[in-house]
Amino acid sequence: MTRDDLAARRGVETTVYQPAEDSALLARAAVDGVSDADRVLEVGTGSGWVAGEVARETRADVVASDLNPHACRQAREHARTLADESGVGFEVVTADLVSAFADGAFDVVLFNPPYLPTDPDNDWGDWMERALSGGESGRDVIEPFLDAVGRALAPGGRVLLLVSSLTGYETVLDYARERGFGAEKAVEESYPFETLTVVRLIGTD
Amino acid sequence: MKESLVDILCDPLDKSDLELHVTKREGDEIIEGKFVGTVTGEEYPIEDGIPDLRPPDMRDE
Repeated sequence: MTRDDLAARRGVETTVYQPAEDSALLARAAVDGVSDADRVLEVGTGSGWVAGEVARETRADVVASDLNPHACRQAREHARTLADESGVGFEVVTADLVSAFADGAFDVVLFNPPYLPTDPDNDWGDWMERALSGGESGRDVIEPFLDAVGRALAPGGRVLLLVSSLTGYETVLDYARERGFGAEKAVEESYPFETLTVVRLIGTD
Repeated sequence: MKESLVDILCDPLDKSDLELHVTKREGDEIIEGKFVGTVTGEEYPIEDGIPDLRPPDMRDE
């Protein structure tokens, strides 16, 4: 989503990122790309909406995590509501990327990262900044994620990563390939100010 | 959280195993308790069914 959208949204919500176009695209790719027997982690779940869609539409085991404890409480509430309505919920863990998850734990890891390139002088200093800002390059969170995620993937495991044209599509893919991933497009949508792509990354070693 | 979640969690500091201590359950849900690092001794709270496994230096709510 764009800065103007963000500015508008920041007026009503300042601690937890709410579902937007990028969330919908990631959920679509995830529901298509997840099998019933998979164990799935959504990193940076925010409100928990994407994790909830995957839990509801597949029979996969879903875990959602976020570094922001406010987001985790909202996601947990969403999981409870979903479990009451449909009998299917998901687990919520407060954690930094995949650092608290065991080696080989997941068949699929989903991530809609903070990706907006941000002026270093623009310091909101709140949770919404953490949810949106990818630092000056837009890749300050994506790169540590790509460094670490392979450890938490089971053999044959894959990553569905949302990449915006604002962040540099080819740069992100090159980085992923250097970390030993094969990359292909899962879904893509163009918007007035950015193109959003969900990339499927598969370990090649 | 369900007790089975412990199988896929690890201590964020060194990836070692965690020991689960439960103080409140509701059905098969663990509501309150803590994880303790079996190697580091670090404590990670479980509140309202959510384990907080942030490394200690990232717990800036």
